[in-house]
Amino acid sequence: MIEIKNLSVRYGDFYALNHITLDIPRGTWTCLVGPNGAGKTTFLKTLLGNKAYDGSITIDGLEVYKNLRNVAFVPQRPEIPAGMDVAEYVMLGRARLDGWGRESRTSRRLVQQILEQMQLAGMRHQLVTQLSGGEMQRVLIARALVQEPELMILDEPTSALDLHHQISTLNHIEGMQKSGVTVVSTMHDITLGAMYAERIVIMQNGKVLLDGPANDVIHSTQLKLAFDDAITIHTLDNGRPVIVANKSTAIL
Amino acid sequence: MKTQEIDRIWHWRTTLFVGIMLAFVLLLGVSFGPISLDFMKILRTLFGLSGGLQDEEKILFLQLRLPRVLLAGLVGAALATSGAVYQTVFRNPLADPYLLGAAAGAGLGATLALTGGTQSFYAALPLFAFIGGVLAVAATFMISGRAFADPATLLLSGIAIGSFATAVQTYLQQRNSEVLRPVYSWILGQLTVADWNVVKWASIYIVVALFILIRMSRLLDGLLLSDEEAFSLGISPNKVRIIAIGAATLATATAVSASGLIGFVGIVVPHLVRGLTKRATNRALFTVALSGAAFLVLADLGARTLLSPAELPIGVITAFVGAPFLLFVLRAKRVLK
Repeated sequence: MIEIKNLSVRYGDFYALNHITLDIPRGTWTCLVGPNGAGKTTFLKTLLGNKAYDGSITIDGLEVYKNLRNVAFVPQRPEIPAGMDVAEYVMLGRARLDGWGRESRTSRRLVQQILEQMQLAGMRHQLVTQLSGGEMQRVLIARALVQEPELMILDEPTSALDLHHQISTLNHIEGMQKSGVTVVSTMHDITLGAMYAERIVIMQNGKVLLDGPANDVIHSTQLKLAFDDAITIHTLDNGRPVIVANKSTAIL
Repeated sequence: MKTQEIDRIWHWRTTLFVGIMLAFVLLLGVSFGPISLDFMKILRTLFGLSGGLQDEEKILFLQLRLPRVLLAGLVGAALATSGAVYQTVFRNPLADPYLLGAAAGAGLGATLALTGGTQSFYAALPLFAFIGGVLAVAATFMISGRAFADPATLLLSGIAIGSFATAVQTYLQQRNSEVLRPVYSWILGQLTVADWNVVKWASIYIVVALFILIRMSRLLDGLLLSDEEAFSLGISPNKVRIIAIGAATLATATAVSASGLIGFVGIVVPHLVRGLTKRATNRALFTVALSGAAFLVLADLGARTLLSPAELPIGVITAFVGAPFLLFVLRAKRVLK
């Protein structure tokens, strides 16, 4: 579905993304992993199409640059508008489908439904500026869900959430994926990423270091390398990998 | 079974309430003045019933009061809506419709028309003001170049163009001191010249511009998000910005050329509506337009009657009443946090 060939993004002489080539099949969940500054967020924003790049990114054969398409984007640091309530904010996800200045019954029904699913129905009249970080994160996911997108791009979708909401949010995203939506996300919590994504891409210094099925990548030596050997991988009794930072090297 | 759906997001009740207010204020506007006209007679005249206004009263109503009040309404709606739109586009609650050089450009245009000396130039003042305003905004866009997508660059370009136009205008005024008075009174804003011709052409531009802006209100709300988010929601931020600024400038330039520089409406009315409804989104644009119309009709009524038979510049009223009222609402509601 998504074909990325020789993708580079430069800021002056600095390559934020350095000749990346990747194929992302439809209906899969790909999780980008790597240290801060590896180019994960730049990659997601470039995939969105609102950013100039060298090389090519095509979705179903169409170049993404400046091409509006049905993509949902959950940013890590959203711009939170003053004086807008949760329902209005989520309703923005329907702007494209409803067209100029309209608000269809279908949209209103769907927004209500998603708000209930995300346990946000009670705060639909609350201003988004008054939400906690975790609530805002769930509102963002809700907005992405009502878009009924073909591709979902999520930048750290669980970073602001407590353990319970991490799982429920990821379950929602997984539900979308099971219904055929392609998901591309970054996640700092590699353990969690490996639980949901079938494919993990390790990035470092704007390059793809390793790319493969989640399980293989987790147990590869490159993962340790990407994090300067500062992590240890344990395997639980049920076979689930757990990745933790090493205390001694992590503080350096 | 009752279908579950989210409540309609902008309450039509608010709009209806403001609409009724506007109708009432319009009626007040046409009935009061140095000579008062009877409410019922006005209504009868409007609906073509017998027992309406007669002779001089009818002429006063149809040829003076009605066009003037309608023009006040149009100008108020244009300025208030453009103000709200500029505030959205620039993500700045202090933005006003004159910001991108529209006012200074129109001022320069008007001064040129007045220094032209002949009577025909004088009659062309609105046209000169209109062209001056539009050219100034176009110049602002040109000098900010490709960076126009960045609100701060555009704003600073607007300030540069505005200062330049004001400097030229001042120079012209100093060389032709006889125009000082008319230019000054034009700058303070006046609706005294309102006749049906002015109302007709002003209403065409203003209604078209406001229709576009109100229709695109949800896209404007998208501009409150980051550009990437807006883009992912199917909103092309730069296109929306250009269309919005274009339409708002058309409305502003028309308003300015019809009635001079009436200050403060573009800031006070959007914030009043936000304060009273606790909403800052562009869903309220139609309500903002109606409120702006009501506000200016009321201000014009004050301008005509307070020192009757003399007239106050309407800009004096809008600031004198608007400023304290705005402060009161901001204090009471603390809207923007």
